[in-house]
Amino acid sequence: MNHRPFEDWLLDEKALASAEKRQMQAHLRECRTCSALAEVNIGLDAVRAVAPAAGFVDRFQVRLAAQRRLQRRMTAVGFAVLGISGLAILAWFAWPVLHGLLYTPSEPLTAWLTALTAIWATLQAWGRAGSVLLRVLPGFVWVSLVMAAVGWSLMWVVSLMKFAKIPQGVAR
Amino acid sequence: MTDEKAWIIQAQHGDDEAFTRLVETYQTPVFNLCYRMLGEPEAAEDAAQEAFLKAYKNIARYDRERSFPTWLLAIAAHHCIDKLRRRRYLTFSIDEDEERTYELPDRNALDPEAEFIRRQEQDHMHKLLCTLDPTDRAALILRYWYDCSEVEIAQALELTVPAVKSRLHRTRRALAKRYQDEAPEARAERRPYESPAF
Repeated sequence: MNHRPFEDWLLDEKALASAEKRQMQAHLRECRTCSALAEVNIGLDAVRAVAPAAGFVDRFQVRLAAQRRLQRRMTAVGFAVLGISGLAILAWFAWPVLHGLLYTPSEPLTAWLTALTAIWATLQAWGRAGSVLLRVLPGFVWVSLVMAAVGWSLMWVVSLMKFAKIPQGVAR
Repeated sequence: MTDEKAWIIQAQHGDDEAFTRLVETYQTPVFNLCYRMLGEPEAAEDAAQEAFLKAYKNIARYDRERSFPTWLLAIAAHHCIDKLRRRRYLTFSIDEDEERTYELPDRNALDPEAEFIRRQEQDHMHKLLCTLDPTDRAALILRYWYDCSEVEIAQALELTVPAVKSRLHRTRRALAKRYQDEAPEARAERRPYESPAF
């Protein structure tokens, strides 16, 4: 019998029948390659587990605590970097305005105040006009006005939808 | 539900006490794997600690349908493989006399001479293991020390089952070749066919 089946039996760690065991023993007496393979199999089976030095769990807890501290520090540093970067970008964009404010503060301040005053005046005028109209116009006029506004809006929406469905300039 | 499953669920919900119990339970298998992979107890301690830290960070992603020890050992094996690959770029020497191992004592050993020979053989096997390619070594360790099936090894090392099988065959052939080449006369007296295994 040739060498191959014995090597395969050893590599597959096949459970041998008694006749096969006898054949294997005879082969191992002659074949140094299979003999070494068998010794390696036995050697690997015989090697025992190695345990860590006492206190492994305590050392793990210490390492875990150190890792957490490091993580917290890194998070804090990350937030600081993010904050500083955000502020720097904001300053970069705001610089023209800030520059104007610092060197000629009256100009932008006057412009802002004027704009605020205009908005305030417009709101007041709308308020006064509304109260006058409420007092002057009868109820049915208000109803007709509201209905006209709703109808106008509906027409606007429908026409928009119609145009949106068929792209202009595109043939069917 | 077993204690282990309960600890895993608790650990997944952020219970450090439960995770510590898992560390207590699996410290020896994880350390042993790292020791067999890296060859030195100091490096093994560091790698085992790192493997547990990685497991702690990723415990929420652990799929409870899978075997926990296989998942944990896979983390340790990958960590050791990475370490060994990085080591290739570094030059260092190992003073073997300074190596300290913490092998579990054999309570049944009555014959000191037999125990001495057994230890010598185990040291020899350990040194042979350290000459193997990291992934081959991991496959062999998972097979022999942890009785992992080829499917489990394939999952752990992200290989296909035929690749695992072929690696295991090739690795054992290579080990046998080195074993044969190293000291043929020293083994002339103890032939494997005399072992009860054959």
